[in-house]
Amino acid sequence: MGNREKQRPWEDFLAIRGMRQVLTVTVALAVLIIAFSFLSPSFHSGRNVGNLLRQVAPIFIIGIGQTYVLITGNIDLSIGSVVGMSCMISATLMTKGVNPWVAMLLTIIVSIGVGILNGALVAKWKLPPFIATMGTMTVARGVAQIVNNNYNTDAIGKAAQSFRNVFYYGKIFGLYNTIWIAVVLFLVFDFLLSKTRSGRYIYAVGSNIEASKLSGVNTARSITIAYVVSALCACVVGLITSAAAGMGTMDAGNMYELYAVAAAVIGGVSTLGGQGILIGTVIGACIWGVLQNGLQFAGAPVAIRNIVIGTIVVISVLLDVVIRTEKPRRKIKE
Amino acid sequence: MGEYIVELNHINKSFPGVRALDDVSFNLKSGEVLALVGENGAGKSTLMKILSGAYMRDAGEMQILDQVIEDLTPKKAQKLGVAIIDQELNMCSHLSVAENIFLGHEKTRSGVLSNKEMNQEAKDILDRLNIDIDPATTVGDLATSKQQMVEIAKALSINAKILIMDEPTSSLTSNEIDDLFIIIKKLKVEGCGIVYISHRLEELQRIADRVIIMRDGKCVVSMNFKDTTMSEIISDMVGHEIKEEFPRVNCKRGKKIFEVQNLNAGKMVRNINFDLYEGEIVGIAGLMGAGRTETTRAIFGADPKESGKILVDGEKVIINGSIDAIRAGIVLVPEDRRRDGLCIRRSVQDNIALPNLDLLCNKIGVVDKKKERAMTDEAVRNLRVKLTNAGANVGTLSGGNQQKVVVAKWLARNSRVVIFDEPTRGIDVAAKVEIYNIMNKLKQQGIAVLFVSSEMPEVMGISDRILVMCDGKITGELVTEEATQDQILQCATKFDSKSEQVVNS
Repeated sequence: MGNREKQRPWEDFLAIRGMRQVLTVTVALAVLIIAFSFLSPSFHSGRNVGNLLRQVAPIFIIGIGQTYVLITGNIDLSIGSVVGMSCMISATLMTKGVNPWVAMLLTIIVSIGVGILNGALVAKWKLPPFIATMGTMTVARGVAQIVNNNYNTDAIGKAAQSFRNVFYYGKIFGLYNTIWIAVVLFLVFDFLLSKTRSGRYIYAVGSNIEASKLSGVNTARSITIAYVVSALCACVVGLITSAAAGMGTMDAGNMYELYAVAAAVIGGVSTLGGQGILIGTVIGACIWGVLQNGLQFAGAPVAIRNIVIGTIVVISVLLDVVIRTEKPRRKIKE
Repeated sequence: MGEYIVELNHINKSFPGVRALDDVSFNLKSGEVLALVGENGAGKSTLMKILSGAYMRDAGEMQILDQVIEDLTPKKAQKLGVAIIDQELNMCSHLSVAENIFLGHEKTRSGVLSNKEMNQEAKDILDRLNIDIDPATTVGDLATSKQQMVEIAKALSINAKILIMDEPTSSLTSNEIDDLFIIIKKLKVEGCGIVYISHRLEELQRIADRVIIMRDGKCVVSMNFKDTTMSEIISDMVGHEIKEEFPRVNCKRGKKIFEVQNLNAGKMVRNINFDLYEGEIVGIAGLMGAGRTETTRAIFGADPKESGKILVDGEKVIINGSIDAIRAGIVLVPEDRRRDGLCIRRSVQDNIALPNLDLLCNKIGVVDKKKERAMTDEAVRNLRVKLTNAGANVGTLSGGNQQKVVVAKWLARNSRVVIFDEPTRGIDVAAKVEIYNIMNKLKQQGIAVLFVSSEMPEVMGISDRILVMCDGKITGELVTEEATQDQILQCATKFDSKSEQVVNS
């Protein structure tokens, strides 16, 4: 007792819960990258890597939000619709001549409202998260359709050029801004999740909500925070989408909620709550992107890509469930 | 010893249909270990839940550390320094030891968690208790006993002055119990008041200063531990013989129907051997957590078993799941009817038909509505279930009628062995007698009847033979006519080898 030696830095790193799992996934990612590089030499061209990262960034950003929600033991299906909604709201406002940055702020406020609503439905009124967020998913998509009378918007125009540069076209140090946005969001939310009390409660609630309550944790607030983070991330992706397209499209973000689950789950976040780290979601999103992009380069049709990615998601969840249910049984035998 | 740190006076608490606490007065001094004992359902846990804020009392006064308390919530209780360590551990298994200890009162530095500080402080607390656990370990990776130690450490981190332990040793080995007792003694010296609930009477001899015995929602005895003996405690727990009418029919004992050999399934079912004969009812007595329900579930195939042989009418049957048991003619009326016994939102007819669809369907699997109707009507008539129509939702029936439906669904098919787990829990007296009559009828029909019950008078009143379980083993087999309640309770507290001392009586 008491004579723990000074640990080496990499030991500290490995001691982070879930890090080993993330390393395994990272190895898988590396293998994929190497494999695709052999299959098509243009895969690792500088141009493609830049594009690939920009393609992955939105998936990763929504993955952050979904990771928060999954760790609390819930799910957010409204993400894709919030992407579409914020894409449409921001673009519509801009075409109506509203200053792009004001439009951005208004969009963020509306999205946060959706997050709070999700949190209230799930945490306060105890609706099953699947049903509650399926409801808000449908409503948010409806809002996306109604803001411009059921039409996609016109081009958001010259006034919005700076907005488009900040969110999509601009580059800093040779990397697209979209990627930098993802990096900043990662740093902020990873800090919140791993270093603050609110983050600790996100894990505690997902691990054992009763115990958390009895320890004096405001569980409803923790769950609501997770949903707000999720909606906020979706909103940022919506803004990126409208900046990229230069217009608002009503079905932007379609299916994104599931891509977000995929990124998180591949990265080792448990769908049963209490477990997962954000860096895992980064890797998960990268695997998702590399598969999409790599299979495309290798000439695989969309159908094959879907089958491959779907299979990988199911296997990831299966592994998680098997590991979780096997553990107690082994204990008894000890 | 100091004055009282907890005083509860004239506490009353009722649940629908039950008076759980009846004018109970209770007190605790600082620096003492108070043993709170009583049979199942005597009101110990209810009383402690009131003290820790989980339940609200209906009436009575409460004073904790010289403060008069009006309404108490778990959070308030924690602030006052009341900590409860439940029988079932309540922790976040994904978080580390330190994270669990400080859950709800983390240490932060300008908004950032200071893990180092918390780990260090957790280490200090654990060291103080002589517990060798690294505070950075994930709780889910620890053995149950270690988790229990962490719970204690957590209680200490909020500076608990009043520590309630509900059956703390049920999952500990003898070495771990020794460690726990050292900790308890340490806490005692530091001035904590400790309430120690346990069925393991021999353990109490090692630590208890005072004992309060509860029976039927009342405190019957409070005295210094050294002024009493084990046998006195047991007879106070049992109380006077409760005379209740149990319909009894006498049958001739016939041939052996059912036999269980060397059944093992998990920690709570160890090497179980018994047999059942025609024309008898066998009761399984024991304290809560003795492994009785687990045994019935293992026999029925609801839980996996490690080893063991089951014979019906002399022939070995292989049971890997409930379906195998049902085919072999073994059925189980489970303990928790709302959870395990009924599809609560479905009709009476649906519920009765569910396990019998194999009999009710034609060759291609279409349900024969006429047969289903006939089966339901017959079952309802036989068991005298009171209902307006068979399409009624089961959830709308009274507890007794619900229980009859659970029984009915199994009696609708011809079985050889019927196992009842707590068949009369939470139902009124008239319905109880009807359930007893059903059991007697089965007995007369030559069907083997096995039932688990925590109510001593019921076991004594209805069974012909009693098996007593303790700690996952059968510790006694008695013929009812010759058995006494004291004898049963002694078998039920026969924990082995955890403590050198034996119950002296």
